[in-house]
Amino acid sequence: MNKLRRYRIPLIYLILTIGLFFALFPYIWMVLSSFKVSEEIYTQFIPTKLTLDNYAFVFKGGTGQERNFISGMINSFIISIIPTITVIIFGILTAYSLRRLKIWGYKIYENFLVYQMLFPGVLFLIPLFLLMRDWRLINTFPAMIIRYLIDPWAIFIYIQFFKTIPESLLESARIDGASELKIIFKIMLPLSKTTTAIVALFTFMARWSEFLWPLIANKDYVKMPLSVLLALFTKGEYQTYPGIQMAGATLLTLPIVILFLLFRRHFEEGINFTGLKG
Amino acid sequence: MQKINFRKNIIGYIFSSPFFVFTFLMWIYPFVWGFIISFKKWNLISPYQPWVGFKNYIDVIKDPMLWLMVKNSVYFMVVFIFITTISSLGLALLIKQIPRFKGLYITGFLLSYVSSGVAYSMVFNLLFAGDGIVNNLLGVFKIKIGWFTNPYIAMASIALIVCWKFTGYYGLFFLAGLNNISTSIYEAAKIDGASAWQRFIKITVPLLNPTFVMIMVFATITSFNLFTEPYMITGGGPLNSTKTMMLEIYHRVFSLLQAGYGSTLAIVSAVITFVFVWVVRKLIERDDIYE
Repeated sequence: MNKLRRYRIPLIYLILTIGLFFALFPYIWMVLSSFKVSEEIYTQFIPTKLTLDNYAFVFKGGTGQERNFISGMINSFIISIIPTITVIIFGILTAYSLRRLKIWGYKIYENFLVYQMLFPGVLFLIPLFLLMRDWRLINTFPAMIIRYLIDPWAIFIYIQFFKTIPESLLESARIDGASELKIIFKIMLPLSKTTTAIVALFTFMARWSEFLWPLIANKDYVKMPLSVLLALFTKGEYQTYPGIQMAGATLLTLPIVILFLLFRRHFEEGINFTGLKG
Repeated sequence: MQKINFRKNIIGYIFSSPFFVFTFLMWIYPFVWGFIISFKKWNLISPYQPWVGFKNYIDVIKDPMLWLMVKNSVYFMVVFIFITTISSLGLALLIKQIPRFKGLYITGFLLSYVSSGVAYSMVFNLLFAGDGIVNNLLGVFKIKIGWFTNPYIAMASIALIVCWKFTGYYGLFFLAGLNNISTSIYEAAKIDGASAWQRFIKITVPLLNPTFVMIMVFATITSFNLFTEPYMITGGGPLNSTKTMMLEIYHRVFSLLQAGYGSTLAIVSAVITFVFVWVVRKLIERDDIYE
C-alpha cells in the first residue's frame, strides 16, 4: 500500500504524458507529413529526407492561378477579423445599454438573448442564403460576413461582467462630466480586458474554422476562405496527394494554434467565468 | 431624475439600435421566412411558389431516410458521450492530483480543441485510411479495420475523432467543477471511513452533476449538428451510415434545389434536437444534490 502511494504521482505523470502524446500525435504527424516525399508518408514516421515541394505547390496555386492558398489565407483573415472587431464593439455597446443604462424593457431583451443563443443555426441557413441572394450579395465578402457582425453570446458575457462593476464608479465619472461613450471606451473597455480577450479569441477561432456558411454563400475561388478552398481541393483533384493536403491542413491550423497559445490564460479563465457561473 | 432616466433611455436605444436592426434582419425575419418556406413547394428559382400545407412535413416524417439519420446521430451520440465523458473526467481527475506542470498539460490537451473541422478531418482521414498508419500498426496483430469504409463502424470512427477534439475542452470544464468541490467534504467522508471509490461515487459524481448536464447537452447538440466531419471524410456513406440531417439539408437544398423540403427538414431536425436535449436533461439532471 505504501509502495503504491509512493509511485502514484509518477504514475499519473506517465499516464498523462502518454495521453498527451496521443492528443498531439495528429498534429505531429500532420506537420511531419507536410515535409515528406509522398513515398514516405505512410511508411516512415520520421522522414529520411525533407522536402518543401508540398508547400511550394500549395503556394504556387496548383493547377490554376485561381486556387491560391495565400489569397485563401488572406480571405480567411478578412472574414475572421471584421466580425471579431464588430462583435466586440456592438457587444460592449449593447451590454452597456441593457445592463448599465437599463433601457426600457431591458429584462425582456436579456431573456431574448438567451433564446437567440439556444436556437440551432440550422433554422437560419436557408432563409439567410435566400436573403443574401435577394440582396445580390452571393459570391461577395459581405455575404460571408454580415450574419456574424453581432453575436448574442458576446453581449451575454459582457452583461455577466458588467453586473460586477459598481454603479458608483460610473456615477462619479458622470459627475465629472464624462459622456456615456467616454465611460464605455475609457472605463468599461479597459476594465473588461479579460472578457474582451475571450470574446476575441472564440469569435476569431469560430470564424477562421467556419466551413458550411462560406461554402454556401460563396462559390468564387478568388474569395474563398482557406477552409473551403482546402476542402474542395481535398475532395477534388488533389485527393491522391496526401503531402500537399497536409501542407494545406498545417496552414489552416497554424494561425489558430499560435493565437490560442498567446491567449491561453484567458481561455481557461473564460471557461471558469462563462461556463459554470453563466 | 425623470429627465436623467429619459436621457439614459435615448442614449441606450441609440447605442443598442444596431443590435435591434441586426436581430430583426438576421434573426426574426429569416426565422419566420424559414417557417413560411416549409409550407411551400419551391425550387429556389421559380417565381411560382405554391402553398402545399403540411405536405413537406408529411414527406419528411414518412421518409425512411429521416429515421436512419436519427439512428445514425443517436449512435454517434452514445459513442461520443460514453468515450468523451470517461476520457475528459479521467483527464480532469488526473490533472487535479499533479503538483506541478498543470498549466502545461492543460494547454497541451486543449490544442486539439482549436483545430478546425476541415483540417483535422483531413488528418484523420489519412491516419485511419485503409493503408494508413493506424492500420499499419494494427497490422502487427494481423488486424485491419475499415474505419471509414465499414458501415457498422464508420459513425463510431467519426465519434472517436470528435472525442479527440473535445476531450481537453470538456476536461477543463470537469476540472473547474472539481475545483469547486470543497475539500472539507472529502475530509469528513474520510473520517467516516469511506473508501476512495465510495468518495468518488457518493461525492464527486453527484456534485459534478451540473458539469455532466452541461457537457451532455453540448454533446447532444454536437451530435445532431454534425456536418463537416462526415462531409469531408465519408460524404454520408458507406450505405448512408454516416448521413446526418445537416448533410441531407445541404444536399436537398443546394444540390436538388428543394427549398421547401429542406426548410421543413431543418425545422424537424431542430425539434428532434430539442427533444433529445430535454430527454438527456430529464435523465441526468438533479436539483437535490446539495441536501
